[in-house]
Amino acid sequence: MQEFYPLTAAQKMHHNWILKYKTQQVSGVSVVASLKSPIDFGLFKKCIQLELERYGCMRVRFTKPDKNGEVKQYIVKKDTRDIPVKDLSGMSMHDADNLMQQWAYETFDGDDIPLCDISMLKLPEGFNGFFIHMDHRLIDSCGLVVMINDLMQLYTHYRFKSAYPEDLADYEKVLANDLKKANNEKRFAKDKKFWDDQLDALGEPLYSDVKGPSVLEEARKRHGNKNLRAADIELEELFVAVKDYYLEPEPTKNLLRFCMNHQLSMTNLLLLGIRTYLSKVNNGQEDITIQNFISRRSTHDEWTSGGSRTIMFPCRTVIPLETDFMSAAYEIQNVQNKIYMHSNYDPALIEEEMRRRYKTPENTTYESCYLTYQPMPVKMENPHLVNIPQHSKWFANGAATKKMYLTVSHTENGGMNFSYHYQTACLEEHDMELLYYYMMRILFKGIAEPDMSIGEIMEQV
Amino acid sequence: MTKEMQFKTVVAQYCKVKPEDMGNDMRFREDLGFSSLDFMSFLGELEDTFDVELEEEDALKILTVGEALELLEKL
Repeated sequence: MQEFYPLTAAQKMHHNWILKYKTQQVSGVSVVASLKSPIDFGLFKKCIQLELERYGCMRVRFTKPDKNGEVKQYIVKKDTRDIPVKDLSGMSMHDADNLMQQWAYETFDGDDIPLCDISMLKLPEGFNGFFIHMDHRLIDSCGLVVMINDLMQLYTHYRFKSAYPEDLADYEKVLANDLKKANNEKRFAKDKKFWDDQLDALGEPLYSDVKGPSVLEEARKRHGNKNLRAADIELEELFVAVKDYYLEPEPTKNLLRFCMNHQLSMTNLLLLGIRTYLSKVNNGQEDITIQNFISRRSTHDEWTSGGSRTIMFPCRTVIPLETDFMSAAYEIQNVQNKIYMHSNYDPALIEEEMRRRYKTPENTTYESCYLTYQPMPVKMENPHLVNIPQHSKWFANGAATKKMYLTVSHTENGGMNFSYHYQTACLEEHDMELLYYYMMRILFKGIAEPDMSIGEIMEQV
Repeated sequence: MTKEMQFKTVVAQYCKVKPEDMGNDMRFREDLGFSSLDFMSFLGELEDTFDVELEEEDALKILTVGEALELLEKL
């Protein structure tokens, strides 16, 4: 008999965005993975079909909302679809990328439908591979990387007789376990207490914008409330532009070395860089909140079950300007560690509690910046493919629910990529240039002189 | 299963070391490859499995498998 399950907190986050922004486009995730090598498409198709059997999250569907608007998920037993081959080999790689970008904008509309679209591709310059477009409620980027590697292991097993990939964890079993944890009353009470205590101690958060205090001032005028501490969210024009900046391997090494020597995680260093910039452009504001995404994948089963396990929590710190860089970094680390311990909580409840306490107006927010640190590269880690050039790329879904969303990832040559996704209705490329420029200046000044105060760093950069 | 083995079985879900190969002097981060998120999630799992409440400040001081076991024994 078919089992039906509620959505997890991570799935609800995407689901609520779809409802709020009135388009499924905000929940699209797309990637191309290819090799500069001929591919046996007949065999590859069989491997993709086998992957659909192995990776249960690809077979998840959602029911029609019930009378309360509640949606349930279920996993269909079989998906025996055909996998088409699309030939883009006559184009330039630039044009092929542009076409795939258009595919990434497409939406999955309807209930009880597959939310995963896969095509095999013949690409320019001798590359061959596949393009996958999915709903984020089914998978996150880590889940996609695991899937790509598993698929390529299947292919190399049948093509070159390499070892058969290890079993993947059962999506349904892990989902049931997650829901059980979320319903653990004792744990829920502890998590709620942690988040409530933070509001008790610090009071209502204060918005800080990438462009400075004028945005909050405008919101105060619009709402006729000079004490308003939240700013409006853009709900109409959702178009997102992407600006990537590349940090060379040598400076990247310096950042990594600093993290290693001081037992600091890169996420926390990046959070410090962003928060110091926000403080700088907001007249030295000390109370700053940034939404930070975490991928709840720690156990073997969590890593290999697919699903959408990425969820964001507000990282709120109040750091006086006289605090030295190192202490500020540890302060963030301390806050983040506690957040990790309470990350089973549904972040929608944190927002709900703030709205209840502070009567925050509808469609306003306390955060302008969102961060994802993605330590896992989109690389096919397969010994049979190691010397073959690869072309892999993530495509933005083109509709942002967030004003500025920064994804930081590592590149194959040891550098780092800073990918800024920004709502063009609110921000321009120049704003991203400034943000990246000052983030780097702040971070490198800080790691060179960790005893220097945050206030001095802000003045000197 | 002894409490120690039950504990190490939980740890093993987070790393590639089998419970029987897990020494008490092994460090969570350096030897078992735990990230901060892994470690904090693991603490939550310990609370659920053994039905105990860990003091956050004490728990954050834990470096090795043996130290975590010792803390668990005290509760």
